[in-house]
Amino acid sequence: MVDRIFAGVLLVVALAYSIMAFTAIRAPFQYDPLGPESWPQILSLVAIACLLVMLWRPDATRMGVTRQTWFRLTATVILLAAYAELYEPLGFILSTTLFGVALSAMLGAGALRSAIFGVAAGVIGYVLCVMLLGLNLPEGDLIGPLFDLARQQEGTS
Amino acid sequence: METVLSGLATGFGVALDPFNLFLVLAGCFAGTLIGALPGLGPINGVAILLPIAYGMGFGPESALILLAGIYYGAEYGGRISSILLNVPGDAGAVMTTLDGNPMARAGAAGRALSLSAIASFVGGTVSVILLSLFAPALASFAVTFSPADYVALMVFAFASLASLVGKSTVKTLLGATIGLMMATIGIDANTGVARYTFGIPDILAGIDFLIVVVGLFGMAELLTLVEHQVSGKLKSLPVDKSFVRMADLAKCKWTIARASVIGFFIGILPGTGASVASAVAYGTEKRISDSENTFGTGDVRGLAAPEAANNAAAGGAMVPMLTLGIPGSGTTAILLGALLMFNIQPGPMLFIQRPEVAWGLIASMYIGNVALLVINLPLVGLFARMLTIPQHYLTPLIAILAFIGIYTIVGNPFDLLMITGLGIFGWLLRKLDFSLAPVILGFVLGGLFENNLRRALSISGGDWSILVQDYKSIALYVLALLVVIAPIWLGWRARRIKGEASSENG
Repeated sequence: MVDRIFAGVLLVVALAYSIMAFTAIRAPFQYDPLGPESWPQILSLVAIACLLVMLWRPDATRMGVTRQTWFRLTATVILLAAYAELYEPLGFILSTTLFGVALSAMLGAGALRSAIFGVAAGVIGYVLCVMLLGLNLPEGDLIGPLFDLARQQEGTS
Repeated sequence: METVLSGLATGFGVALDPFNLFLVLAGCFAGTLIGALPGLGPINGVAILLPIAYGMGFGPESALILLAGIYYGAEYGGRISSILLNVPGDAGAVMTTLDGNPMARAGAAGRALSLSAIASFVGGTVSVILLSLFAPALASFAVTFSPADYVALMVFAFASLASLVGKSTVKTLLGATIGLMMATIGIDANTGVARYTFGIPDILAGIDFLIVVVGLFGMAELLTLVEHQVSGKLKSLPVDKSFVRMADLAKCKWTIARASVIGFFIGILPGTGASVASAVAYGTEKRISDSENTFGTGDVRGLAAPEAANNAAAGGAMVPMLTLGIPGSGTTAILLGALLMFNIQPGPMLFIQRPEVAWGLIASMYIGNVALLVINLPLVGLFARMLTIPQHYLTPLIAILAFIGIYTIVGNPFDLLMITGLGIFGWLLRKLDFSLAPVILGFVLGGLFENNLRRALSISGGDWSILVQDYKSIALYVLALLVVIAPIWLGWRARRIKGEASSENG
């Protein structure tokens, strides 16, 4: 059943892809026999054929995921999305600390241990990546001014 | 022969540069560590660390040397969790658990680990030697390939992928097609027409390769870890002081030799990496030498065969990647994508145009194999301790590493949401028994496939018969057909023989 739902959703996507390939994509002028639309047209036909076979003879019937696991997975995805959204506004150190604490606590680390882990991941990660490896990570609106202040003081002294 | 020797000289010149030598060692060490962690295999390790290696701004040969070190280091490390925990790090290490874990339970963990390290070393070295002999020859033949031949080669690659990888042929084919379709997103380079961008500026240049890799492998792996999360620690068997004996090595020497050669040649086939190689090597060895039915109960030969084979396959998979530009496994597909990011087109010209990259990589594999043996024999206790890192720290760490890697490419927070979305998609695909390697192969090869098809038809002025005019293309189509039909025919024959036997009994 799960197979059929998944194949059905993908079939809708593939049909949309196919319709666009056959109608929307056109080059204004071209010299080659195959334009930008031919390859997607071929692919869409292969994909639709595969999906029809899957709909006709599905083999996976159930997901085998308990409600508790669904809950945990959803929570993880929400945490990841929140982490992605807060990455720039809060900066690497704060957002990583929050994410590390939240996810490790949710997965069963104790309150104190997850707090230590989160802070360590944020601070050590920043020091390692920005100062040693020279990678570019967001400072954030909250902590950024502090860095600027430190830099100014270094400059003046 | 002469080209091989002079090539190797160039290669060792590059690989013995102190900085590159350090990268080989660092890559091997990190790879072993990643491979040893239960659940994380070579492909996830390379996927998560690739953007970080890219962001550090190394030269192409240095970055590739580092990534390749991680790749075969992880093939080495996978055996540690298989033997001590009975949890394989990835599909390639499944066969190692069959005899490795019983040996460890019988109190010979040290012996099993040291024997498998030696088997891995021999397998890896044999395959690098074969690689340095085969690759230049194949490359000089492949120079004569026309665009039509390349189309045939791709068809062969996807046919062998569909027939040999994964549980269901249709699902593997669909996975590859999804990858190919994802590769069509973005501006078409030939005509400048935007395809499937829906006006979103972030994907005008196509979906970034790194985002697809980290999303489909790193993030999907993370969700799988969360799904199977077990609270508390996994129980690891202790590493004792026992060590491999000469008698063991004498008993396994032909096993290791056979398995290395099998592994190398299976590794060459497109799409079939370590998992198929180790399974075939184990099966062959069981048929040849299991006279007392000791396989599966801790037979040294049953441990040596898959370990030699999966390391040999890692070398074999490099052959089509370096010479034809067609990766032999999911992990080499990622390495190929890494080369493309440095504007290096792998393929027959690589050995002529960028010998320092091709031969530097090969030479670094010789060094890496020795380094891994040296690292693995005394330090195995240290790696074994890594096994017990609780999952609730490992999981957030993977996400943090993935985010750092992706953000440092261009500093676009939209990419972070994209990898999360692709991670959910990859997890779903895995849940439904799709294998992810075809998706990434399709994505990496999409542009090459389309361009060669268009080029071939431009040459012929739109006449499709150009695709079957050359003997090379025809031979490849015949091979593709064979690869698809042979397993079906064998299965049908096996069923018929079984059916006859049962009807005679009945």
